[in-house]
Amino acid sequence: MRVNPDVYSVILSGLQTNTQQEDQALQEIATGQKLNSLSDDPAAVASLVVQRMQSSSDTQYLQNITSLTGSLNVADSAISSVVEALTTAQSVGVEGADSTLNASNRHALAQQIQGIQQEIMGLANTSYNGEYLFSGTATTTQPYVADSSSASGVTYNGNDSTNSVEISEGQAMPINLPGSQLFSNATTNVFQSLQDLSNALNTNGDISGATTEVQNALNYVSAQQTFYGNSVARLNNAQTFLTQEQTQLTETQSNTLDANMATAVTNLSQAQTTQQALVEAGAQVSQVNLFDYLPTT
Amino acid sequence: MSSLFGTMSVALQAMLAQQSALEVVANNVANVNTPGYSREVAVMEESPPILSGNTLVGTGVTMSSVQSVRDNILNLRIDQETSQQSSLNSYVDSMNQVQALFNETQGTGLQTYLSNFFNSFQSLATNPTNSSLRQSVITAGQDLAGAFSQTSNNLATIQQGLDQSVVQTVQQVNQLTAQVANLNQQIQEVSNSGDNPGSLEDQRDQDLTNLSNLIDTAVVYSNNGTVSVTTTNGALLVSGNQSDALTTQVNSSTGMHDVFAQGTDITSSIAGGELQGYISARDDSIPSTQSSLDNLAAGLISAVNTQQNAGYDLNGSSGADFFTPFTPSTPGSNAGAAASMTVALTNPDQIAASSDGAPGDNGNATALANLQNQSLVSGQTAGDYYSNLIDQVGNDVSNATSEQTAVGLVLQQLTNQQGSVSGVSLDEEATNLVMYQQAYEAAARVISTVDELNGATLDMFTPS
Repeated sequence: MRVNPDVYSVILSGLQTNTQQEDQALQEIATGQKLNSLSDDPAAVASLVVQRMQSSSDTQYLQNITSLTGSLNVADSAISSVVEALTTAQSVGVEGADSTLNASNRHALAQQIQGIQQEIMGLANTSYNGEYLFSGTATTTQPYVADSSSASGVTYNGNDSTNSVEISEGQAMPINLPGSQLFSNATTNVFQSLQDLSNALNTNGDISGATTEVQNALNYVSAQQTFYGNSVARLNNAQTFLTQEQTQLTETQSNTLDANMATAVTNLSQAQTTQQALVEAGAQVSQVNLFDYLPTT
Repeated sequence: MSSLFGTMSVALQAMLAQQSALEVVANNVANVNTPGYSREVAVMEESPPILSGNTLVGTGVTMSSVQSVRDNILNLRIDQETSQQSSLNSYVDSMNQVQALFNETQGTGLQTYLSNFFNSFQSLATNPTNSSLRQSVITAGQDLAGAFSQTSNNLATIQQGLDQSVVQTVQQVNQLTAQVANLNQQIQEVSNSGDNPGSLEDQRDQDLTNLSNLIDTAVVYSNNGTVSVTTTNGALLVSGNQSDALTTQVNSSTGMHDVFAQGTDITSSIAGGELQGYISARDDSIPSTQSSLDNLAAGLISAVNTQQNAGYDLNGSSGADFFTPFTPSTPGSNAGAAASMTVALTNPDQIAASSDGAPGDNGNATALANLQNQSLVSGQTAGDYYSNLIDQVGNDVSNATSEQTAVGLVLQQLTNQQGSVSGVSLDEEATNLVMYQQAYEAAARVISTVDELNGATLDMFTPS
């Protein structure tokens, strides 16, 4: 049988195939990635895109959580101070109910209550990052201003709305309580109770009745405060969940994308061995032909 | 009646025949590395015998012809596979440029811009009146729109480049078919005069192989030595000494060049060669990618604008369009949506984060961010739709690459087979060389022997 006398074409195509494998291995080692173009594994790159969307969202949710935790903590500590101030006011009321006090003693106590009211109004106007925390969604409006024409001594300028922020996909969480809900309801009003107590002290009216009113307000605000504690706890849970999810996504992405260095290096050295063998074969084969043995004269 | 002079002429013819055969060997050795060369063999023939008295006496040898050793069927198979391979090569080369535009393995594709855009709304929801967060939304929107229009423009540029390649390839096809027609004529003339058209046939084989690199061909060999060439779908390219040039003409609806054979549009029926690869990338894969990109852009523009219109900006006014609304040039078509994508808002205050008019409300910012998880295009989220687009482009290339490898292997085998039929073997030529040399020497010895005999005869009459 006649065979193809051109052995070099076979060696050449072998070398070319081998060079491709070498290239592939080198590229993996150089980039540290086993996928370097879409066609390397289309389905894997497509799912990589979806995973990256997901992990990018998670990063954003985590950022939201950090910034929300900040504002919730500030709000929480403001409310704690309000509760503390109301506790003081209540004990002032108890002290003022003592029938041995004279009018000037009671006036002094009324002054103290006025001071407490001022302090609470200041706390109710707390802002974080330029936004008022207790004005509902009217975050650019100062919620409470002193108003002598109002029975409670203040006017609420905020609204009754709340904002919700997503802390993971599809999970929205309310992030604020409007002052109108936080400091008053149908039967209780922080500012009104302080105003009443101060009036009762000044006029020697129903001081213990007014003190009970303050006590009720105190209980009400304390109950409202649990919102902040619960919210921070929810944020912590979400943070734990998101961090875990991100770790998983990162691992999946890395499995999809990252080169296995050991495999890549083995492939490279295999390709190099093959290349050497081919080149040597090329050098050995057909070094002589019949012409070399023709007699020369 | 035979004579000594007759014997001498037999020997002389033998010398001439062996000499010609040596020339054939020399030519084979000379062309050992010539691409497309088919080895030649000297065809020796006994000269017609003459009647000498009552016996037929041989009158020696002539070299009747030189034959090229070739397998036309094998050559046709090679041309077919070559045609497939070229088609795949030009397609893969073109689509490699396309897939580089969607560089998701390096994380620098559209996905980052999509994520950043939606995340910027999510971030704004935590602090809806914050002006730097608002500015970030505008910037993310501009980056997204810029990425869409740049990708779309780059696709169009690649497509234009391929269109140029189509036109140039058609010109090359025409040059080759003209050459083949010309060679047909020469081969016929040489054959008619009884000579071996081998080298001309080699040249034509080479041209036919080059032609099958450019376009799919069907070659029919005629008895008179000419070939007729058509595309596999029957469009005539060469018949005898006539070639039919392909023409190109701009299609007014696509803006791309269509290919015509004798007035018939054959653009979509070209089934091989570089032309097919270019046309397939230019007319199928790129437009399909471009249209997916347009659909995605149009879906985003419309959904974001609708949601933006539903809310209120920082001043309490109804939200204005975020992106410049896309107006289709043909109803129902999204063509051009990606290329023309721009952000319409200039003032960050105009972002409609609020759902009720209160400046601090974030309801609409959250709704805008949530568009990420809503079906915007063909019942899919933007991310899923884009991921399918990526999958499609990647598959186009990877399928063609696998085929490329398979066809390459087949072609290698066929070429090897062709080499075993037509390749020049130096061992074989050395053997022939010795063989013809010895025959030549023997014939020369016959002449010198006859010469001695003649001398002896003449000496009979010359007294010494």
